[in-house]
Parts: sequence; C-alpha cells; structure tokens
Amino acid sequence: MTAAHTPDCAIFLKDNNFNMGSVLALAAGMRTIGLLVTLLAMAPQAIPDQKAPAAEGTAIASAQVTGFDIDRLSPGLREAIRNLAGTALNQQRLDELAARIEAERPRHVAAVRSVMDPDGQARVFFVVGRQDQPDRDDNINSRYIVEQADITGVPDADVSQALRDDLRGLVGRRLDSGEAEKLQQRIERELPRYDVSRRIQRGDEVGRIKLLYEARRKEPPPWLRFEPLRSNLVYHSDQGWGGYWDFNIEANRTIRFIPTFALANSEDSVEEYSGAGLRFETRKLGTRRLGASLEWTWFDQDWRSPTLDALPLSPDIPRAYDTRTTITPLLKFAFTPDVSIAAGVSISELEALPPAIESQMANAAVASVEFDRQWKQGSDSTHRAVASFGVRAGSRSLESDLAYTRYLGQGSYRFDFDRHHLQATGMAGGITGHAPLFERFALGDSLTLRGWDKYDISPAGGDRVAYSSLEYRYTGLALFVDIGSVWDANGERKVRVSTGFGFHGGPAFLVVGFPLNTDNLTAVLAMGLRIPGIGPRW
Amino acid sequence: MVARRRRAAVALLALLAWPAAPVSAQTLTVDTAGSTLKIRAPGFSFLKGDPLARLKDGRSVRVELAALVMATPGKSPAAATRRIFALSYDLWEERFAVTTVGGRSQSVSHLAASAAEAWCVEQLIIPLSALSALGRDAPFWVRLEYRILDGDGASDPADSGYSLQALIDALSRRRKAEPSPNALEAGPFRLPAR
Repeated sequence: MTAAHTPDCAIFLKDNNFNMGSVLALAAGMRTIGLLVTLLAMAPQAIPDQKAPAAEGTAIASAQVTGFDIDRLSPGLREAIRNLAGTALNQQRLDELAARIEAERPRHVAAVRSVMDPDGQARVFFVVGRQDQPDRDDNINSRYIVEQADITGVPDADVSQALRDDLRGLVGRRLDSGEAEKLQQRIERELPRYDVSRRIQRGDEVGRIKLLYEARRKEPPPWLRFEPLRSNLVYHSDQGWGGYWDFNIEANRTIRFIPTFALANSEDSVEEYSGAGLRFETRKLGTRRLGASLEWTWFDQDWRSPTLDALPLSPDIPRAYDTRTTITPLLKFAFTPDVSIAAGVSISELEALPPAIESQMANAAVASVEFDRQWKQGSDSTHRAVASFGVRAGSRSLESDLAYTRYLGQGSYRFDFDRHHLQATGMAGGITGHAPLFERFALGDSLTLRGWDKYDISPAGGDRVAYSSLEYRYTGLALFVDIGSVWDANGERKVRVSTGFGFHGGPAFLVVGFPLNTDNLTAVLAMGLRIPGIGPRW
Repeated sequence: MVARRRRAAVALLALLAWPAAPVSAQTLTVDTAGSTLKIRAPGFSFLKGDPLARLKDGRSVRVELAALVMATPGKSPAAATRRIFALSYDLWEERFAVTTVGGRSQSVSHLAASAAEAWCVEQLIIPLSALSALGRDAPFWVRLEYRILDGDGASDPADSGYSLQALIDALSRRRKAEPSPNALEAGPFRLPAR
C-alpha cells in the first residue's frame, strides 16, 4: 500500500476509486494538504486490500463508517447507511450520505469508497477525518459550491474589471465566508455611494449556492433638518423643578411625530406651564428642498407671584392667561443644505385667567431664516455654526386681539477638538406693540444668564434682549461667562454678568452660577437631565 | 387646585405614553445533573428579527449566552457561565447548525430554530460547587442573557436625536456599538436536598 507515500493525492484517490465529486468537495472543504494526508494515511488502515472499484448498480453487501464512531451520528443517518446493504450502488446517493455526515459533524470531512468483492458484491466505506483548522468556517453553507457570484443594483461601468474577476473567482469553489466578507468590504470601498449587503441563496442545482451582493445607492442626506428636540428635567435652586419631554417617533427618515409633555416648565419664558402637544414634521414634500410641520399644544399656566405682581405696574403688557392653546402650521424651504427659510402662522387662544372671562387670540404670521453648517478640520476637530433670524407678527388681519411684531436673531459657534470644546452663543431681539407674555423675552435660567433668576431680573419678561455667552469644556468640566440684559424699551436697561462652572456627563448636568455685578453674591444651582430627544424609532 | 389636577393628568398621560415593558410568557427551569446545574428555557428565543433574517440570507450569526445565578434578583451573580455560539442556517436542508466558539468545541446540525436555541441553553452548565456561596437550602434566582455579537443593519443615529435605547446607553455609560443584552430571569429556586 502506497497511499502515505503518494505525492499526488488526487491521483491516489482516483486510482483507489474515490468518487471525484466527493474528492473535489473534500479537497475544497479541507483546504489543507495536511488533512488529506491524514485521511489518506487512515484509509489504508481502515479499508482492506485494494479491490476493483464497484460499478454503478452493483449490489451492496455492506456499508460502514471508518475513522469515526458511527454511533455519534444521528439515528436516522445511521439507519440510512446501514440500509444501503442489499440495495444497488448509486453513487449520487452515497455522495448525499457523505454530505449528511459532514453536515452533522461540521468539524469532519467524509469521502466515499466502494470496492468490489470476489463474490461480485460491493462494499461501501465512508471514510471520515477530522478537520482541525483554527480558521474553519462556522457557516454550514460553506460546504456548498458557489455556482454564481454577482453584484446587482449598480451599473456595470461602475464596477472595476478586477472586482468582477475576483467575483468570478469564487465560482466553482466552496463558500468561504471570510473571503466573501473581505470582498464585500472591497465593494464598499470601491462604491462609496452605495450601501452593500450580502445574501446567499440556493443555486439552480442541488447542493449549490449563489453569492449575491446587492448594492443600493445611498439616499442623499435631507437638506431640511427636523426641529431640535429638547427634552429636559431641570432643578433650579430659585425656580424649582420643571420638565419638558418630546418623544421622537420617526416613521422614516423624512417623517416624524413628536408627542410633547410639559410639567411646571419655565425654561423658555416667564410662563410656567404644564400640558401636552403633538407635532408632525416632514422634511420632504416631493423634493428635499420643501418640508412642512404642524404643531398643536395645550398648556396650563401657573404664574409666579413676581410675574402677577409686576403686571399691574406695566399696563402695556397684555394680561396673564389661564391656558394657552396654539396651532402652528409651517412650510419650510431649503436653498442649500445649510440655508433654509420657514413661514407659516401661529394661532393661539389665551383663555382668560379668572375673574376675566373673555379669551384672547394671539395670531401671528411667522417667518424665519436659518443657517446651520458643520465642518471638519483635520481628523479630530469639528466646527459648527448655527444662526437664525425670526419674525413673528401678530396682526388684526389674522383676527388677532394682540398686534405686535417680534424679532429675534440668534447665533452659536462650537469648536470641538479632542476633549476640548468651546462654544460661543449670542442673541438679540426686540418687540414692538402688545405681545402676549409667552412672546416676551426672559433671561436667567439653567441655559441663559446662569447665576441669575429671571423672576428677579424681569418677572414679566422684557421687550428687548441682548445676550452672549462663552463656555469652555474639557471633557465634562465646564467654565462659562454669561453677559446679557433684558429690559423694556421705555424702562431702565441693566447689563448683568455671571460666571460659574458645571459638570456634564451624558445627558446629566450640574451647573453652579454666580451673579457678578451685584451685591447679593448668591450662587445659583441648576441640575438635571437635558436630552436632545427620546422615544422609539420605527 | 384645578391646576394641580391638570398637572396630575399631564403626568399620568406622560406615563401612559412611555413605551410599555414587554410582557413575557417565557419560562425557565433548573435541574441538577450529577454535579452540575442545568438550565432549560423552552421559550427563550433569540433567533428572531434581524439575526434570523441574516441567517436566512445564508450568513452566520454569533450569539453570546450567559447564565447568572444570584442570591437576590438584580444583584451581582454568585456564579455565572458564558459561551459564544456560531449559528448558521443550511439553505438546502433548511435547518440550523450551531458550533461553540472557543474552548472545547461542540457542533450540532439539522436542528429546528427552537431546538438550536434549546441546545445553546443546554450548554450553559454551572457546577454545583460554584453555588456553595449561596448556602445550603438558600433560594436563588437564575438570569439568562443573550447578545448578538455580529449582525447587519445598525442604523445611523446621527440625525435622529437620541432614542430611548441611546438614553439607557448614555445613562449606563455603555458604548453605542455594544449590543444590549436580552434577558430572562426567574426564581426563586432551591437545590434539592442531598
């Protein structure tokens, strides 16, 4: 017997009547000559003397498994092998059984050999060897031959010839998941404007598979941005607890619904409101340049005593109200990915605070222009500049009881470099006419003029505002300086300055602010959670 | 008073809007076999959703399963075992195959999805000696967890704000790429008297 010394394993196997289909599969599956040698070395010990190969249709006298304990196979497979005895030799059937052995024992490979006995009957041997490859493929489909490897969804001209050649090179071989993955990464590099996915499916022939790469052109990013989300739960040492939650429910990349809830929230104005609302937004109406939003809110007011006390002293300010219900439809148009405008109306009904009974309407045309651009410099630094200017004009022509015009310009610039973050913000605005309380400006909360209390500065808000802030953060530690003023056009203007420090960890924050140009140097603490938006994404 | 009632109504509404926790009908039982604790969880399923779709696309999926034994629910485990499995779906046989990754390798094939899941759970064996810290006759709880270690379809959260998952991740300081565990916990159990 010369098996162990035969230099050409394929010749040996052929000479010894191993089925060539199995041999090819075996060779591909083993991938190492070492395993072939092991199997061949085992074969002469397990199989008796060389016999003539059995012809197709020869009656099988016996069938056995060598190199592996047959009892470790499933009962069904054991029975199928034993039942070969007495049947006519069918090579395809034998190959299928060898494949089943491999399937049940993925770390083993199996080959079939049949020999002719002197009495004219065949004996069948399933020779099983262990496959001890550290980089073996865990995918059971790696035992199947790839009959087709293709890439779809991309014009032929966009795929290089080299890539096509490598795809073709997979055909006729067993599936190699690692190689398929590497090829996918190469396709992704070569086609950066496409999303690439990989799928394996049955081939046209039994035991063969198709390896398909599907390329889908990436959808260009929308030009219009959704309204920023601003969920928060804040404790302010002068103003107490308050919260606002907006739940982001995205139907897809362009449409979303935002249920909102507020509880004793006083972050935006001199109002302290609780209530709920719903906003619908789409940032694509036929074209990515056009979008729309519709928001409904109902808020119940809980006015602070300083606000109610200040109102009688300023008869020009419209009265306080009990509830505010607002509907705001808006259309948005993007000139570029960075510049957009929005226009629409804001219709508010202000239910009277007892003892008054008549509600007021505060209906305004609204318009704004926004600029938002982010860019990278080098590998670790990012800049972002945001600016907006908005006008809200309450008009009798919109059946508003309150006629006013409100202008507000805001801007911010942020620079992130590794763990260093620098942010500068500023805003300026003015109101003419009789604007309702929710339109009046306020400074002195957890976001603006930190260290001051808005109900001390301007308990009923102001019709003029100017504010700027500079903040430096290193990882989570922040230092800031705020300077600003909120006043009435016909009143005294006082500029206020504050400084302080803060800690930021994820959505949690703690800020301590100190008012500077005052005799009453009392620290103001603000802490809580500030989350850009929470909710399920569908 | 009216304002308080309204606030309470708003708070209640907000709570109702919070996504409800999923109700589970899964069961978990434990048994001793020789000197080991064996776990069975017939309804504990992880071959679903994206991982299952990936498998049906002829690709393999790696899953890490862990069994934790705790003296009190939610506390740090007194004993634990953790294994990684590579699963694939035979496109022609339409059956699942599983191979353990690392350590002593074991494989099985021609399984239905539930049988493949059950086989993985059965490989989580905890030596009874590891439970000695619990004390004799002390009740204990068992927690099964799984994590999909590799899979397709991670969405880009860049322009969609935070999701609830992102909030949980942020609060727990978990890395974004790290998948969240899916778990089944049951108890109290007691070891049979010896």
